[in-house]
Amino acid sequence: MINCRLSTGHILPTPTYKSKPCNTGGGGSDVSSLAVLLEEGKFGRYGGKFVPETLISCLSQLEAEFSSIAHDAGFQMELATTLKDYVGRETPLYFAQRLTEYHKRPNGEGPEIYLKREDLNHSGAHKINNAVAQAMLAKRMGRKKVVAATGAGQHGVATAAACARLSLECTIYMGSKDIQKQAHNVSQMKLLGAQVNCVDGTFKDATSEAIRHWVGNLETVFYLSGTVVGPHPCPTMVREFQSVIGKETKKQAMEKWGGKPDVLLACVGSGSNALGLFHEFIGDKDVRLIGVEAAGLGLESGRHSATLSTGEVGVYHGAMSYLLQDQDGQIIGPYSIGVGLEYPSVGPEVSFLKDIKRAEFYTVTDEEALEAFQTLCKLEGIVPALEASHALAFLSKLCPTMANGTRIVVNCSGRGDKDLPTVEGRLKQGMDL
Amino acid sequence: MAAALSSVVALPSSSLSKPKLSISSLFKYYSLAPSARRPSPPSISCTLTRDPTVQMVDDKETNIRVLQRPDSFGRFGKFGGKYVPETLMHALTELESAFHSLAADEDFQKELDGILRDYVGRESPLYFAERLTDHYKRSNGEGPHIYLKREDLNHTGAHKINNAVAQALLAKRLGKKRIIAETGAGQHGVATATVCARFGLQCIIYMGAQDMERQSLNVFRMRLLGAEVRAVHSGTATLKDATSQAIRDWVTNVESTHYILGSVAGPHPYPMMVREFHAVIGKETRKQAMEKWGGKPDILVACVGGGSNAMGLFHEFVNDTEVRLIGIEAAGFGLDSGKHAATLTKGEVGVLHGAMSYLLQDDDGQIIEPHSISAGLDYPGVGPEHSFLKDIGRAEYYSVTDQEALEAFKRLSRLEGIIPALETSHALAYLEKLCPTLPDGTKLVLNCSGRGDKDVQTAIKYLEV
Repeated sequence: MINCRLSTGHILPTPTYKSKPCNTGGGGSDVSSLAVLLEEGKFGRYGGKFVPETLISCLSQLEAEFSSIAHDAGFQMELATTLKDYVGRETPLYFAQRLTEYHKRPNGEGPEIYLKREDLNHSGAHKINNAVAQAMLAKRMGRKKVVAATGAGQHGVATAAACARLSLECTIYMGSKDIQKQAHNVSQMKLLGAQVNCVDGTFKDATSEAIRHWVGNLETVFYLSGTVVGPHPCPTMVREFQSVIGKETKKQAMEKWGGKPDVLLACVGSGSNALGLFHEFIGDKDVRLIGVEAAGLGLESGRHSATLSTGEVGVYHGAMSYLLQDQDGQIIGPYSIGVGLEYPSVGPEVSFLKDIKRAEFYTVTDEEALEAFQTLCKLEGIVPALEASHALAFLSKLCPTMANGTRIVVNCSGRGDKDLPTVEGRLKQGMDL
Repeated sequence: MAAALSSVVALPSSSLSKPKLSISSLFKYYSLAPSARRPSPPSISCTLTRDPTVQMVDDKETNIRVLQRPDSFGRFGKFGGKYVPETLMHALTELESAFHSLAADEDFQKELDGILRDYVGRESPLYFAERLTDHYKRSNGEGPHIYLKREDLNHTGAHKINNAVAQALLAKRLGKKRIIAETGAGQHGVATATVCARFGLQCIIYMGAQDMERQSLNVFRMRLLGAEVRAVHSGTATLKDATSQAIRDWVTNVESTHYILGSVAGPHPYPMMVREFHAVIGKETRKQAMEKWGGKPDILVACVGGGSNAMGLFHEFVNDTEVRLIGIEAAGFGLDSGKHAATLTKGEVGVLHGAMSYLLQDDDGQIIEPHSISAGLDYPGVGPEHSFLKDIGRAEYYSVTDQEALEAFKRLSRLEGIIPALETSHALAYLEKLCPTLPDGTKLVLNCSGRGDKDVQTAIKYLEV
């Protein structure tokens, strides 16, 4: 993989917007809503297909297949049934009363906090929305084998589950460091019938290895990308499959309070759960979009995953985006207590939203995330994933600035069962409890 | 009559050849040393239990005479009842009237429905398990259609939360600020701690010291949720001892405290109340079956420990006599090994934790320590209503070994990408024996009562993965 400082000194086309009907299917066509223009998989200057020639025709085939399912009623109905009966959708939009009270100011004013309960999905995170859809796509393309890479293991587990259900052979690549930290997820993948291959390093190394596996077996293997990174059409495809989160939220907000959310808040590793929530609302300028990255041990420490705050533009895993790279263009290993946030780059669409200032991005440290984790446990009886805890932690900074009655929807992107050993270890190291 | 009920040690009716009674459990309420040798049972008889008539009532909807379950004394035939110290009688009566008035209270129902929907994640889907169905097809392509009721998708991963949430809401209505519960492996403890956090109630969980060691992650989880976990060292330091301790606490603190019992066991009104709170499972199933195939299920299958998930699924259909009800208990190392929890198959009638029911007891009326690879089925008793349904032949009960359950655990994981709880795996294991006997197209609904994340480490040890 070549990392390239293309951005320096080049004149790049300015991002153009075109009005087009929002093809999100939610409640009638809002023709004037802003939609991101895609030219060959670009979001402004980000995205693209920076891949070896051998992959180009495969990606085109994938793109064609993906376009065709949009009009395939049979596929859509099967997907809807799977999401409902297998995954357990719709996920509730839950009013977190005690959390809302907690963040109120002394005069009793403050925002209303709602949690979008992606933690209730089968396999415990939002990852499955995309995994079941792509597994169906793989079957449709006649592939019998699926390969994927996973960081925290949630995508690995979701993929293994989706493949088991459709009798697809499943191979998951996982970094050795991650395998150690998320052993429970590894066991689950094996139980579900997947083969788990250990790769020296972390998610970024596992991804590289999975792509290598794919390139060597293009005719027979389907590469199931877990997040909105990689060469076109992967970012668009994964975002589309995750956009059910935002679609439901729009409908549920209307049912609950007859309006839209004012603020959407989500953690950002590569960006799949955030884009899944945001996408439906991108054209709604009155809805504020906030993404929270991992500041790990602090931005100055160099041990973090805050790509959008401290990164620079380059090419990684086939797409141009912000990434954490050193002076020589070498990838800096990211770090966070939330393993799913440990990616040295970020989805190209996310980079674009940052540049056009449609979305705002902040960071939160390990400690702040741990505290938010414990707060949600004690106040709402929900054990959130450490990744989602980053979004929850930002509420401490955000809520004091919110007008009374502002409606915030936080994407509770996963449950935290997988993180209990980590949290226990960290707390024993002499913090609370 | 009421006085006689509360103070008498009742024996089973005289038609039994060898009256046995778990006196040890009753004496635990009075804090005798657990290791003291018990005298042989005194010959006290009670007129109430002799030849009890099964009450019949008119079902409001269908106008057919149906069984009253339970009757006004909390009996299901001769099972059930309120075998408790006098100090608890008032609390139980208060609880029963609170329950009945709230059942009719629209505001309460609406609030509960909202919580079940937005917090717990209901309705849980009725999922057609295509690969599992194919797996059981005979060589001529015939076989039953298998549907899974996905209680594993509930918040906290099992059906337990349905009851915990409702009882916490009930406690709040009663003005109680302190909640106690017992737990074995920790699932009910976690569910209770969860709802207490949600409703801002003080939570104390009693857990056997041995269980605490085996389930340290669940202990940590309960503490994270703000609960106080108290170790119980008496007896074998397991579930039954934790239950006794919880009952002791309740006797002492009855004014301020509500006891969230985790299953359809215990003194009336608990078996009825817990069943009613889980009945949403069966109600949804009826509606979903109608939507999916325009009819009712032919067979309902569920695992049975205390019996709550099974009653939750069955209750709606008890009066639909064409619907077959099958409960599966844990045979552990095998029924003849003595290490099992197959109460309905191998147990005898006695009183435990306030109710008359089948239970695993030895010749001296001492409780036999049950065994199952799945902690949730590891209870030496069973809900009185199950004992009743067995005796009248309305439901059938079988058992499945640890090994068979483990195989079923792996099978569902591989075929459907769903890792079931080991408890649920017992019900799934029975499909091996059941499906070959079923006509083509039989509609079978199995209660997938919980997810198996908690069992992955155990299973990996035994299975070759």
